[in-house]
Amino acid sequence: MDANMAIFNGLLKGLGVTLQVLIYSVLLALVLSFIIGFMSLSKWRIPRWSATLFIEVFRGTSLLVQLFWLYFSLPILGIRLPAMLVGVLGLGLNYGAYGAVVVRTSIRAVPKGQTEASIALNMSPYRRMRSVILPQAFLIMLPTFSNLTIELLKGTSLISLVTLADLTFQALALRSATMETTQIFIYLLIIYFIIAYPITLGFRWLEKKQSVGRG
Amino acid sequence: MPRTSDASLLNQEPYVKYRNIGMKFGDTEVMKGINFDILSGEKVAMIGPSGSGKTTLARMLMTLEKPTEGTIEIGGKLLWHRRANGKLVDANLKHLRQVRGQIGMVFQQYNLFPHMTILRNVMEAQVHVLGLTKKEAEDRARKILKKVGLEHKCDAYPAQLSGGQQQRVAMARAVVMKPKIMLFDEVTSALDPELVGEVLEVIREIAEEDEMAMLLITHEMAFARDIADRVVFMADGQIIEQGPPEQIFNYPQHQRTKNFLSRFSTEFH
Amino acid sequence: MWSWDFAISILPQLLQAMVVTIEATIVGFIVATVLGLFWTICRRSSIKPLKFAVVAIVEFVRSTPLLVQLYFIFFVFPTFGITLSPFSAGVLGLGLHYSTYLTEVFRTGIDSIPKGQWEASTALNLSKIKVWTHVIMPQAIPPIIPMLGNYFIVMFKETPLLSAISIVEMVQAAQIIGSNSFRYVEAFTDVGVIFLLLSYPASLLFQYTERRIQHRFDLSVKASKIEEDHYATNK
Repeated sequence: MDANMAIFNGLLKGLGVTLQVLIYSVLLALVLSFIIGFMSLSKWRIPRWSATLFIEVFRGTSLLVQLFWLYFSLPILGIRLPAMLVGVLGLGLNYGAYGAVVVRTSIRAVPKGQTEASIALNMSPYRRMRSVILPQAFLIMLPTFSNLTIELLKGTSLISLVTLADLTFQALALRSATMETTQIFIYLLIIYFIIAYPITLGFRWLEKKQSVGRG
Repeated sequence: MPRTSDASLLNQEPYVKYRNIGMKFGDTEVMKGINFDILSGEKVAMIGPSGSGKTTLARMLMTLEKPTEGTIEIGGKLLWHRRANGKLVDANLKHLRQVRGQIGMVFQQYNLFPHMTILRNVMEAQVHVLGLTKKEAEDRARKILKKVGLEHKCDAYPAQLSGGQQQRVAMARAVVMKPKIMLFDEVTSALDPELVGEVLEVIREIAEEDEMAMLLITHEMAFARDIADRVVFMADGQIIEQGPPEQIFNYPQHQRTKNFLSRFSTEFH
Repeated sequence: MWSWDFAISILPQLLQAMVVTIEATIVGFIVATVLGLFWTICRRSSIKPLKFAVVAIVEFVRSTPLLVQLYFIFFVFPTFGITLSPFSAGVLGLGLHYSTYLTEVFRTGIDSIPKGQWEASTALNLSKIKVWTHVIMPQAIPPIIPMLGNYFIVMFKETPLLSAISIVEMVQAAQIIGSNSFRYVEAFTDVGVIFLLLSYPASLLFQYTERRIQHRFDLSVKASKIEEDHYATNK
């Protein structure tokens, strides 16, 4: 019983770090998704190409490689970042690249007729985006954003490998201290699931709310 | 309602002028050398087989498709171009927005905004394009929705309406912007046959009450004959012939027109 | 700072580790396919508890981190007498995790087959196995090949996690090089570039096949672009 409590308390210490990194990197990824997503839809070459470069580099080189690169290489290049920032930056950049693709495809997925109707009503491009295209694209984005958030949550476990004391890190520490391997890892998996499930439910609720009245 | 026999016979400056219009998709030329006028307040019906270029002509006027050749003028102003130092240059967005405020369009697929209620569909552009207050826009929206018989559907969403009802909303949404010319692009083609009547009825009402010009692309021959001042027959990207409805439907001059109309013959004999 | 000589000199070592990375991806993908098909079959089963259990397993595995699952297999299995080599544990974890994604892909493929195909098979009195092997699968698999390909690339990019259970794949190799020479920049940059060089062309290839498969040409796209042109060039 005591051992159980000790394990549980130990893991809870890591929970705070995991949640903090999760929230910050979700915010960073969201902002990047829209900025890079819009850039990739631009008519000008330079923003479009930079967006493509960003997307392909961060999607193509594997999250752990990016985290290690930030963690090990930056100090050698003279840039010292707190471990927390490395985690948030690595996760945010990586999932921001995936999110940008979601933003781009969702905006493109809004039927052409909607754009044409907005032009026929003489709306400005800004108004068309704001009133007509984005609200519809947003609904298309939601399920994929839900999945991406879960992916990001799972990705936070990788920060344990750059010495951030998150849930996974604490579990490994507890394991060497108590050797209660089975319990520790079962608890750990359950805690992750308990964080993930409300996220999924929350997105489903949002989707339902957003799709009121739409066939 | 005055019936103009032939635009060119009247000494009236046309409201819309298509001049030497050509259209290419890649290497295929689908339209060439089209000249075509619409007078102020004139109701023009455009008929012809599908793929003949009728829709393209309307979409060019709505600034949805840019002609690869020629110019379009509306109300004395160039639509797709502007003059700079005596030369024609492509119009910018500001110019396009200025000019196309006079044009409205109703689409075959309605294209209502699915995430807005019916009322907001009709209000949105009034508020953000015409700059009306929400109160004014709502009053006008309710009034026009009543006119198309849908005042009880104000809070519904498009998906909850039948095709015919959606198309009536689309017309209300376009008419409320008070355009000088309205384009109807095969607005009954996507509808179940039993819903066609209610939509045509609304068009007839608009045609009778309003001063605006109309370009009506349609396959409803009886209806075209009924409300149009002039009927234009198009085929293969060419205007084959045009004239008053009686002339086109009863005494077509060209073999192509005769062939086309013979498919609808039961309606006229 | 950056040394080209060093960056090039470590390439043979990294490419050797790349072989492990690719092996792990391929074996992991096979495990994921087999398990994924198994989940799919179970979910179509008429036995309710089995169906429910599989749905729960899939949901749970997909919602929890692969890294933790790898630790679980590597550290917890031995306490039940199942000791696996790091490589076996790694590909099992990778395969198990992605089987929960592949089962969705298989389901999409099977669901996309028109009802008439099943009815026609019944009308022809085909055996159940014949129906699956001769009618359903030949139609369900081709459309999902690009999706399967994409998951293959995703799994390839997830292999660095295997370094956590002491498999010397590329990232682990880079770390060893880095700690010996303290030249982390070259080591991790090399690894990043190798990943990019392998995954990017592959993803282009699958995008291309995807476009070929859902080949629809739409002229109207061109038309509505005009407005954008005007906005962009004149703003």
